[in-house]
Amino acid sequence: MAVFREILKNKYLYLLALPGLLFLLVFAYLPMTGYLIAFKKYRLSDGLWGSEWVRFDNFKFFFMGSDWYKVTFNTIFLNGLFIVCGLGIALLLAIFLNEVRNLVFKKMAQTFIFMPYFISWLVVSMMVFAFLNTTDGILNRTLAAYGIQGGNWYLMPGIWPAVLTIIYIWKFAGYYSIIFLAAITGISGEYYESARIDGASRYQQIIHITIPLIRNVLVVLALLGVGRIFYGDFGMIYGIIGDNAPLYPTTDVIDTYSFRALRQLGDFSKSSAVILYQAVMGLVTIVLFNAIAKKIDKDSSLF
Amino acid sequence: MGSSLSEKIFMIFIYIFTGAFALACFLPFWLVLINSFAAESNIKLHGYQLFPKEFSLASYQYLLEGKQVLSSYIVSTSVTVAGTILAVAVTSMYAYTLAHPKVRYRNILSFLTYFTMIFGTGLVGFYILVANWLGLKDTLWALILPYVLNPFFAFIMVSFFRTLPYEINEAATVDGANDLTIFFKIIIPISKPVIATVSLFYALQYWNDFFLALLFIDDYKLHPLQMMIRQLISNINIGAYVSGSQTTYTQPLPTYGVQLATVCLTIGPIILLYPFTQKFFVKGITIGALKG
Repeated sequence: MAVFREILKNKYLYLLALPGLLFLLVFAYLPMTGYLIAFKKYRLSDGLWGSEWVRFDNFKFFFMGSDWYKVTFNTIFLNGLFIVCGLGIALLLAIFLNEVRNLVFKKMAQTFIFMPYFISWLVVSMMVFAFLNTTDGILNRTLAAYGIQGGNWYLMPGIWPAVLTIIYIWKFAGYYSIIFLAAITGISGEYYESARIDGASRYQQIIHITIPLIRNVLVVLALLGVGRIFYGDFGMIYGIIGDNAPLYPTTDVIDTYSFRALRQLGDFSKSSAVILYQAVMGLVTIVLFNAIAKKIDKDSSLF
Repeated sequence: MGSSLSEKIFMIFIYIFTGAFALACFLPFWLVLINSFAAESNIKLHGYQLFPKEFSLASYQYLLEGKQVLSSYIVSTSVTVAGTILAVAVTSMYAYTLAHPKVRYRNILSFLTYFTMIFGTGLVGFYILVANWLGLKDTLWALILPYVLNPFFAFIMVSFFRTLPYEINEAATVDGANDLTIFFKIIIPISKPVIATVSLFYALQYWNDFFLALLFIDDYKLHPLQMMIRQLISNINIGAYVSGSQTTYTQPLPTYGVQLATVCLTIGPIILLYPFTQKFFVKGITIGALKG
């Protein structure tokens, strides 16, 4: 009854929230019933409720094979690289941009650095292809000009963690550096003033003032990244790698793996089992890391 | 100025590093743009060049004469415009309620929203929902509806609405305005910065997405521009795809040129939006990242 009274009292406010709430229920919570399929042998003709229960068979299938280890490792490894290198370079860029005194240079650099954020992964993929393809790619052409034999890059899985990390940095460094830059701008000028009186060099100011004072931002961003470490950016990996099987050993992540199981093999049950594994691991990680963050630094935790 | 030698070297290093990074960000755009105007024979002979020797409009001509680019443009534009408007409306109304101190269940609503960020919906259930239960396969709704409420963008708005002074609310209530009037007549007009930011975020998401099209759109007449690029990369039969018929061409197709020209047509509008919204956007990212 209390619920009823509250809703009636603020009926217009709840009315405003209604479309959004409906969306959440339909597009976010209703599909979660699809996880049931992970425990069933799903057949389209039998539907979600009619299909036969097989309990943990789909999971057994996934965990018995070598795939689960490979895709889990790739997901964590690639995301780890992205977080460390991406945030590292962005932090460096923000600090450097802050030191730049020439405003025209600063503005132009910032505009260029931010541009890759705006384009789609397929456009990025085109650019990567233009750079790396075997016959007409810029890299191989350039190497050839110096008499060096280029490689068939799209058949070499070993180089792709590095390639993907470079692409990630290229696309997101601008975005993250703006966040850092905003935090740096928020630092009171008095700190620098007094440091200068004490004879601190620019370099020392960066090490002893700028970095410690934006540590919080860095920790929060890293936490957000670690919390989502089990989720790959599907658009990125699939956009760039696509269905190029020779590269799977180092680039196949949980998202692309389960997508293939669904779309190409039509195996709803297996795909669902993989994604449930991903969702549970993701939940565990975020709760765990949040607890750790809270222990270390009360202000840095997410919730 | 008592700057020492090492200080000067440090500054030079900063300029070189930043400049080099900016250049590396810019070069791919330049290559795509300039080579989309290069003659196909030129690309075949020398690969992609910083300054091609021979220019040609053949790729654009070919692309614009075909049917696919126009229909993809219409799909992308309508999905982006309709989607952004719908999404911003739903998100801002929802976020306003979440931020309103009068709403007793706002924490429950917040948790419901936050939970979807940390526990995935699941691809399979999502696919079955859209394709089978809602029957949206091969419709534009499949490209619009799934993105109508992004929890992250909602929280950006929540943190903005929280900064608004509550006195506005009280004053308007005294004047006899109800919550709907307050929201539409007062809150919306003063929330332009955050609305602009979130609009751009949504527009980017709709314009650049290919995941939904990949899952739900088989009919090439409904392919958005991103799918068109994908088809051109992986393709198959560019001639039939671009022109929309099985015409045979006597001249060789400008394959690379067509890919690059499509890319230019795709990123054009969204890059052009950036200068106009840059001021808001930077602010919005900052709020979103720190409090989201």
